[in-house]
Amino acid sequence: MSPVAAAWGRVLAARALQALVVALLVGTACFFMMRALPGDLAMRIAASRYGYDLVGNAAAQAVRAELSLDGPMWPALLRWWTDVASFGLGTSLVSGEPVWDEIVHQLGATLELSGAAVAIALVLGVPAGMRAGIAPGGWTDRATLAAAVLLRGMPPFLLCVLLMLVAAVWLGALPAAGEDEGGLLLPGLALGLGLAAGLARVVRSAVIAARASPSHEFALTSGLTDAQVLRHHTVRHAALPVLVWLGVQTVFLVEGAVVVETLFAWPGIGHALVHAVFGRDVPMIQGTALCMGLLFVTFNGLVDAACLLADPRRRQGPGE
Amino acid sequence: MNGGGVGHLDAAAPVRARGRGRSLGIALLVAVTAFALLGPSMLGIDPTRQALEDSLLAPGMAHPLGTDVLGRSVLARLAHAARLSLGLALASALTAAVPGVLLGVLAAWRGGVIDRTLSMLADATLSVPGLLLVLLFAAIAPGRIGALYAGLALVLWVEWFRVARAASRPVLAGHAVQASRLLGFGRTYLLRHHVLPELAPLLRTMLALGTAQGVLALAALGFIGVGVQPPTAELGLMMTEYLPHWHEAPWLIAAPTALLMAVVLGMMLVSPADAA
Amino acid sequence: MRDAPQSRRRALLGAAAAALASGVARAGDAAAGRTPLVVVGPWEIGGLAPARSGFVFARMQVAETLVDIGDDGVPVPGLAASWTTSGDGLQWRFALRAGARFHDGSPVTAGAVARSLREATTPPAALGLAPIRSIDADRDGVVAIRLKTPFAGLAALLSHYSAIVLAPASYGRDGAVQSIVATGPYRVTALAPPQQLDAERFDGWNGGGPLPEVERVRYLVASRAETRSMMAESGQADLAFSLDPASVTRLSSRNSAAIASVLLPRTLIVKLNAGLPALGDVRVRRALALAIDREGIARALMRDATLAATQLFPPSMTGWHDPARAPLGHDPASAARLLDEAGWRLTAGTRRNAGGTPLTLMLRTFPDRPELPTIAAALQAQWRRVGVEVSVSIGNSGDIPLAHRDGTLQLALAARNYGAVADPVGTLLQDFGAGGGDWGATGWRDETVVDALDALATGRASGGEAARARSRVASALHEGLPVIPVSWYRQQVAVSRRIVQVDLDPFERSYRLTRIRWRR
Repeated sequence: MSPVAAAWGRVLAARALQALVVALLVGTACFFMMRALPGDLAMRIAASRYGYDLVGNAAAQAVRAELSLDGPMWPALLRWWTDVASFGLGTSLVSGEPVWDEIVHQLGATLELSGAAVAIALVLGVPAGMRAGIAPGGWTDRATLAAAVLLRGMPPFLLCVLLMLVAAVWLGALPAAGEDEGGLLLPGLALGLGLAAGLARVVRSAVIAARASPSHEFALTSGLTDAQVLRHHTVRHAALPVLVWLGVQTVFLVEGAVVVETLFAWPGIGHALVHAVFGRDVPMIQGTALCMGLLFVTFNGLVDAACLLADPRRRQGPGE
Repeated sequence: MNGGGVGHLDAAAPVRARGRGRSLGIALLVAVTAFALLGPSMLGIDPTRQALEDSLLAPGMAHPLGTDVLGRSVLARLAHAARLSLGLALASALTAAVPGVLLGVLAAWRGGVIDRTLSMLADATLSVPGLLLVLLFAAIAPGRIGALYAGLALVLWVEWFRVARAASRPVLAGHAVQASRLLGFGRTYLLRHHVLPELAPLLRTMLALGTAQGVLALAALGFIGVGVQPPTAELGLMMTEYLPHWHEAPWLIAAPTALLMAVVLGMMLVSPADAA
Repeated sequence: MRDAPQSRRRALLGAAAAALASGVARAGDAAAGRTPLVVVGPWEIGGLAPARSGFVFARMQVAETLVDIGDDGVPVPGLAASWTTSGDGLQWRFALRAGARFHDGSPVTAGAVARSLREATTPPAALGLAPIRSIDADRDGVVAIRLKTPFAGLAALLSHYSAIVLAPASYGRDGAVQSIVATGPYRVTALAPPQQLDAERFDGWNGGGPLPEVERVRYLVASRAETRSMMAESGQADLAFSLDPASVTRLSSRNSAAIASVLLPRTLIVKLNAGLPALGDVRVRRALALAIDREGIARALMRDATLAATQLFPPSMTGWHDPARAPLGHDPASAARLLDEAGWRLTAGTRRNAGGTPLTLMLRTFPDRPELPTIAAALQAQWRRVGVEVSVSIGNSGDIPLAHRDGTLQLALAARNYGAVADPVGTLLQDFGAGGGDWGATGWRDETVVDALDALATGRASGGEAARARSRVASALHEGLPVIPVSWYRQQVAVSRRIVQVDLDPFERSYRLTRIRWRR
């Protein structure tokens, strides 16, 4: 087997095993964490189900009886394990709907939003960052600095309100919220702009570091043009830390989009997770953690693959 | 041999500008730190003193930054909030950064089992949704701001670990390090003269962004209803509280936002473009 | 002579054609180019069970209750055309509206209605409050409800959203609600919980009057008031509910949307644990009440000084609100004096009793209603001024009933809806009855109140007697202060220029979509 195939094979096998272990461990850990939280489980579930007008001790008692919350917790965990084994995720304690349906709807919406945000960030941030890295102190450098300060120092909900004001109210071009036609663009921008600014600065730093390295000088002295050096050396050298940073930021994005999702009424997983924690909706949390864990493992695999592509040294097996 | 600095081909114009930018950055950070540390005692205004008849006053003589909806002085609240939030955010970022970077460099250095174990640990932390972790911390210790920042640090160390690991691997595998080793230089030398210069620009940018991220994470938590208890002045929570008044009293949300932007700008200006 | 019938027939055909054409034209008018009527609110659709999200289906007029409530709070026929009570008050018979059909075309039978209502007897659904023995189909089109003891408010309870009538086809095998098949003028076309509901006009509705003009409606959830107001301003929403005061100020000065508002039967209250030694003394409770600057709070936080509560029940609750009652004022001096009298002396800014213990209390509240944390902070400062140290804990709404039950409650801030079923007797019984209530009295009991509420509930008191009983209850609550009223509430709605004849329901049971017309 060629070294490349061997490396890929190793990666895939490791990831698959990781996925399995992650699925069960994370879900089980969540179960215990949720059950260990202070407060009355039945009352929390009742408050989430019925709202603050109807919640009370009678409602909590009814929930307690319905879900057998007075008894031991092992049957519930066992039930979840069997659910997972049969590719289901149980039903939500709050809404009564299948957890799988809710997650698909909401995690799907968040992934759509995150994808849009990352796309916007790449399109805007990478070229700007490279330009800034090649010409530090120049116009683009200052512009990216200003953008980073503005966008990363501003609370995201302020950016959302401003975007809504400009695009929906003043221009009337896009819907202010919800999933109507074009409803993805504003929240995508709200997330993507901040990410682009951060990305531009990270790309800039990485490009500067790459161009300051001896290999860069060596490449220039060996007769390659600036453009060729840029393409073959700088990009490769700078790509690694940038990819890793972007990878981590994207993971944070998926959960961190909760503010943007809330403001733009975008049905996201962050919002669902918050409600599930407040309402002690244990199956929902377990299911969400499991799905996001699996997603993360898959995503990790992709990032690893990208890093393998970018850094040939890793393909040659373990280092010193 | 210095890993950076040599071969900076566009050195010409920006040297003076770099110096100016750096001084501005230092000045900003000093100003904010002074405001945060000395402001509360020097201003002498009670940040919790309410006057409902003075609700939403525009900046003026009596209240240089105006008043919020309960008639409290925004300037006083900003000073107290700066001390609390910036201090905690920085502490949280460093709490995440120091072990993260050290472990990242360690993993890149040693490779093998250590690398795999640490990576698995990082992956395990990342695979639990960060929001969930922070919410769980908040649920265990409701209203305690320290718990929230601890939760944040637990989530964010992975970022530092991974970036440090990815950035130091090529350096440690490179010729410069090999040469130094052959010459007999020890670990500390290698760290200080090879790894750190490579990492420094990246890490400084990340620290600037990470501190802001900490404050904004608290703002987001306040936004979804998990915050500190009144009447604590907290920077992120102030932003959340002032959002509804964005139209009738924009100076309100401008104040904590401008402060945070000043911090981010200062930190980014202080870190020069090239190696230390 | 032979031409006459022919010409008559031709005339009839012509008239029919004309009617058809105009009908098609109107339908085409409505369907072509017009987006559905969009209603946006903060209340999520969490699951299909009526107790959980019945309010959405009731308000969007997808589902109906047996009884409706008129603007004056009196029960009027809904899905039930009429009802009778037996002499002993134990048997109620509800005659269903003739010819009513469910959205799937099946007829509304007494059996179906009885089955649906039986689901509403589990707490916290409304019928759980009544002493119901059985709900059965009596004969064709009549539902019989038998009670254990007389309960005059049964008709009002049947107007609650948890008692909406669903078709047997709505329920799945395990008895849980799988889909919403009901009797309202609008039928569900798409449901995407928790955020979106689409419905279209149901032509088989015979609830009275002409069919609604608005053909398609949509309910969207946007949990932030800023979002809702932007949606109204940009024209994306036709009705935007629960606007915050800042948005109302902003929209009022613009042309894009009009603001409609209605006073709600909801009061912001501070619930006290009168079982504590400190709060057991009515002078301390009075002092806390006098220390509150209600007008300041109403003016600064709600932008409407008239919302400052002078008593527990707002002016819209006739019979319970007494304009002549001496208002709860803002009198920090009297508050200080009362605290002195009660043995709490001011030393170094804090009230301490003879034993040196400071008067420190914890106020619990929750963030579900955005104004609660801010008002809690305001109250904290106002009580601080009379020397009472109050710490604020913002937690979950369920923490308050929990603390009531285990006795750890001290103070709680909540917005209590006394008009959930129009007639507040049921809610007041829950709150101030014999054992106190999760959202009412803790450690406080007044026999006059218990007696009067019992008389009103069972129907013992009627007419003038009932009026006197109501007055006794309101006065006793005003004097005893087991809960301290802070302010009343207005529902503020942004109405787009597209629609006219918008009518707000003070009991928030319906958005009255059937009355809305498009602006010509």
